Amino acid sequence: MTLEDYLRQNAKQWPDKAAVICGDQQCTYAELDQRVDERAKTLHAECGQIVCLRAICSIDFLITYFALHRLGAIVAPLERDMPEETFNQISAELKKQNCPDDIADVLYTTGTTGQSKGVMISHSTIVADAENLIDGQGFSHELVFVINGPLNHIGSLSKVYPVILLGGTIIMVDGLKDLNNFFKAFDYPASRMATFLVPASIRIIIQLAAERLSSLSDKIEFIETGAAAISQADMKSLCQLLPNTRLYNTYASTETGIISTYNYNDGKCVAGCLGKPMKNSQIVITEEGLIACKGKTLMSGYVGDSKKTAAILSDGVVYTSDLGMIDECGMLHLTGRKGDVINVGGFKVAPTEVEDAALSFPDIQDCVCISVDHVITGKALKLMVVMKDSKELNRKALALYLKSKLEAYKVPLIYEITDKIERTFNGKINRKYYINSGHSDCS
Amino acid sequence: MEKKECIRQLLEEALPLVDFDSDFLFSELDSLGVTTILMLLSEKYNIKLESTDATPKNFKTLDSIVNMVERKLVEG
Repeated sequence: MTLEDYLRQNAKQWPDKAAVICGDQQCTYAELDQRVDERAKTLHAECGQIVCLRAICSIDFLITYFALHRLGAIVAPLERDMPEETFNQISAELKKQNCPDDIADVLYTTGTTGQSKGVMISHSTIVADAENLIDGQGFSHELVFVINGPLNHIGSLSKVYPVILLGGTIIMVDGLKDLNNFFKAFDYPASRMATFLVPASIRIIIQLAAERLSSLSDKIEFIETGAAAISQADMKSLCQLLPNTRLYNTYASTETGIISTYNYNDGKCVAGCLGKPMKNSQIVITEEGLIACKGKTLMSGYVGDSKKTAAILSDGVVYTSDLGMIDECGMLHLTGRKGDVINVGGFKVAPTEVEDAALSFPDIQDCVCISVDHVITGKALKLMVVMKDSKELNRKALALYLKSKLEAYKVPLIYEITDKIERTFNGKINRKYYINSGHSDCS
Repeated sequence: MEKKECIRQLLEEALPLVDFDSDFLFSELDSLGVTTILMLLSEKYNIKLESTDATPKNFKTLDSIVNMVERKLVEG
C-alpha cells in the first residue's frame, strides 16, 4: 500500500477527522481525499513523469503532492525561494531522466562533493519511514503534529508520512518567524501534540519563549530534533522545560531515510547519542569508522547518476560520510563528519558552491567560505575575500548578488577582507589551514 | 549617532541580506532574522524582548523596530 492508499482508506474510515490545518483553512480526511482526486484530473501529468513543485507551506501543496502520486507521477519538491533560473534548470534536467518503477519523490540534497543531487525515494521507502517513526516515537491516530519546516526536506516531509498513514492530524505553520503563530498551533483542542524542530529552532525557542514552551509541558507528547548537532546545554534546557515530554534526537538523511532515534529526556541526556536502529533499519560501522545503513528506508539512488549512486550505495547498503560508533547497548553515537560540508542550522552547504558563486562577482580575486560559531544556528558561513587591486568590497551588494545565485541559507552572514587565500601545493584551497588556524571551527 | 541609525548599523552588520528600508520588513525576514534582531537589541539596550514581541506590526519597518525599542526603554 502507498501513502495515498492509506489516505483513501482513512477517508472512508474517518471521513470527518481533521487531516490538515493551515492558518484558517482546514481539510477533513474525506475532503482531502476528494480534493486530491479532483486535482489529479486537472494536472495532466503522466506516469513516471517528474514534476517540480515549490514546497510552499499550504494545504494546496499537499493536495498537489498526493495528486501527482496518484497519477503515478514523481514529485520533486524544491526550495520555495529557489531562484527561478535554478528551478527551471532543474525542471529541464529532470525532464530528460527516467526513474525506476515505484519512485515517488526526488528530494534534493547537498552531498559531500557540493553539487546538489536528486535522491530518488520510493513509495515503499515512504511507508517504511512512516513505520519507523510510528514504532520508534509513538505516532498515533490521536496525535496532532505541528509541521513548521520546509516540505522539500526529509525532516519535515517525513512527518507527513506517519500522520497520514495513521489518520492523525497535521497542523502546518510557516516556519518559526512568527513565534506567536507557532504557539497558537498548540491551542488546538488536543491532548496529544508533537513537533519537529531543528536544533536552531530549539535555540530560538529557548532564547525567546522558554516559559511559553514550558506552559505546554503536559500537552506536548514529544519533540523530535535532527539534521544538525544539538548542544548538550540546549538538550538539558529542553529536558528541564518539558520534564514529561519525550525528546528525540534522530539519525536520518535523505539517502538513508529515518534510521535511529534516542529519547534524551531519559535522565542521562547523552549528547551525540542517536539511539538504536528502528524496526526497518540496521546500522553497521565500517572499518574507517563511518556509519553505513541497511533496510527498507534507503534511497533508490541519485536520479540520472549511476556513478554517484554506486559511490555510496551498493548491495543494499548506504555508506554515509558520518563518523560514528555503536556502544555496548547497541546505541549509535555520532562522532563527526568526513568532508567539507558545513551544516548551517540543519541546511548543508558545500563551501565550493558558495566560493564559485562569489568568484563571479566583480573585483573578487579569490575567496574561501568557512564556518564560524553562531549563537543560534550553531554554525554560520563566513566568506574571506581577496579583492582585485585592493578595491573596496560592497558587502551588501555581494550578499544580494549571492542571493540571486544561491538559496538564501547558502549566503554567508559574515564577510572579511584578507590578503591571500591559503592553498595546497596543487592549488586546492587548504581547508585544514582554516580549520586549524582558528579562522574556522568547522569540525 | 541617532538611535535609528545606530540600530540600522547594528542590524545591517548581522543581516546583510535584509533591506532595512523596506516597508514590509517582516516579510523579508526569516526566523533567524527575527531572533537575531530581538537578541541584538535586548543586549544592546538592556531591554527584555521576547517571542510575544515578534509580531508583524513591531517588525513592519525599521521605524517600528525603533519604536518598539523606545517603548521597552520607557517601560524599563
